[in-house]
Amino acid sequence: MLGRGHAEHLIPMIARLPHQGRADRIAVSLGPGSFTGVRIGLAAARALALAWGADVIGYPTLALIAAMARNEAGDQPVTVVMTGGHGEWFLQNFDAFGEPDAPLASLRPQDASNTANATLVAGSQAEALCALRKKGHALPLLPDARQFPLLAEGVLVPEPAPLYGRPPDAKIPD
Amino acid sequence: MALILGIESSCDETAAALVTSEREILAQRIASQDDAHRPYGGVVPEIAARAHAERLAPLIQATLADAGRSLDDVDAIAATAGPGLIGGVMVGLVTGKALAMAGNKPLIAVNHLEGHALSPRLADPALQFPYALLLVSGGHCQILRVEGVGQYRRLATTIDDALGEAFDKTAKILGLGYPGGPKVEKLAATGDAKAVRLPRPLLGSSEPHFSFAGLKSAVLRAKESGDHRDQDIAASFQEAAIDCVIDRLKHSLPELEGATALVVAGGVAANQAMRGALEQFAETNGMPFTAPPLQLCTDNAAMIAWAGAERHADGQSDPLDFTARPRWPLDPNAEPARGAGVKA
Ligand SMILES: Nc1ncnc2c1ncn2[C@@H]1O[C@H](COP(=O)(O)OP(=O)(O)OP(=O)(O)O)[C@@H](O)[C@H]1O
Repeated sequence: MLGRGHAEHLIPMIARLPHQGRADRIAVSLGPGSFTGVRIGLAAARALALAWGADVIGYPTLALIAAMARNEAGDQPVTVVMTGGHGEWFLQNFDAFGEPDAPLASLRPQDASNTANATLVAGSQAEALCALRKKGHALPLLPDARQFPLLAEGVLVPEPAPLYGRPPDAKIPD
Repeated sequence: MALILGIESSCDETAAALVTSEREILAQRIASQDDAHRPYGGVVPEIAARAHAERLAPLIQATLADAGRSLDDVDAIAATAGPGLIGGVMVGLVTGKALAMAGNKPLIAVNHLEGHALSPRLADPALQFPYALLLVSGGHCQILRVEGVGQYRRLATTIDDALGEAFDKTAKILGLGYPGGPKVEKLAATGDAKAVRLPRPLLGSSEPHFSFAGLKSAVLRAKESGDHRDQDIAASFQEAAIDCVIDRLKHSLPELEGATALVVAGGVAANQAMRGALEQFAETNGMPFTAPPLQLCTDNAAMIAWAGAERHADGQSDPLDFTARPRWPLDPNAEPARGAGVKA
């Protein structure tokens, strides 16, 4: 979870790990999240991989939250919902096996509420979504890189590309 | 001899270079994003930042491969830390920090403008401090007295548009597309510079600064009048811009006393008509004139590596928590110019 304000802490944090964090395999969150956070994490991972001769693998942030929720509440379908940009929420439904139902979407809260399909709801907007739907069980989880081992191999991306979740804000002039 | 890796990502060029303290550019690569931004008629910061994040690491790897070197051979990592579009700057800086940390090398957080300011010394070993620098790019228009590495006195800046920006806006008005500077120059070569009467803002003014907003508006009026050929507007604009630059240099001459040379840097330094006028001005005033080769004028990583080399030789380096700076004046003591805002 990196925003503009704390991007400068990332490398010093890694430098304080045992052996300065040296690894053969680097797992990085692909997003969605803040645009800045997504690309700073990925840029750092790629540079470290270059320096250490390591592999980079990526994981979708919402898949990590789904795995954390299933770890806490048992194997069952889960809807993950996180704060997005411009008042929208990032939403993705995961089935009972932890596989995503559909690609991630950036939706207005009401549309998110209509799209959510699981009783178990996890993520930073879980409580707000359950309040809107007037049902569901909310787990207000935030992504935690330490929970990476919970992820199924199937959701890992070997040549990671960022999941910004929304296109850049720019209009082609007419 | 020290080997420096330079990284540049402050605008719309993703670039990496390997430069030695002996002024040898072992390899350099530049990936331009012109195609991605062209539909928008200008640089879109988020598109630029995404492209830098995609391209930078492979570009660095390719640059090392071109030179037949590995990261182990590099003595220091120099990355642009500002000023510029902050999203892109952060990508380049975090990449530089990661390489520096992982390889146990010093990080040098370079001011992009210092890259421009010292680039003439990469091209010309004979160039000694202090020298007079005209820095004319898409984002900046300044006259500086370069006293030494890290020592800059800003004598003049623009109170509105930068010179490169004025070229780009003129190009847009004339429908030449983006990026516009080179297209305006090409069209101007076929036009009559006396055909359209255009203003020379601040000509003869007692304040030292530049202004191009009025000139741009006059170009717009000239185009809209329908009375002029585009090539004549382009030529007349270019001549007016050059007149302004020469007049402002004249105004700064007393402050440039003792300068060993007049140097031009930044993207607009690629303009041949501008170079010609500057050369003549320097000769009239008994100063040698230097302009770095074209590929060192527009944004590039060799100049960032070189600024890193100069600071490395000076024993300088920066901490891994160095914060990217969207604004970063070369001369922090310069008085703000009226209305200059972000361009000061
Ligand atoms: N031949 C030319 N004639 C006039 N202007 C030119 C020419 N070639 C390039 N330019 C201008 O130079 C600018 C690009 O220069 P450069 O890459 O140094 O600057 P930048 O990245 O836009 O700004 P900065 O370096 O200040 O952040 C553009 O505005 C472009 O139009």
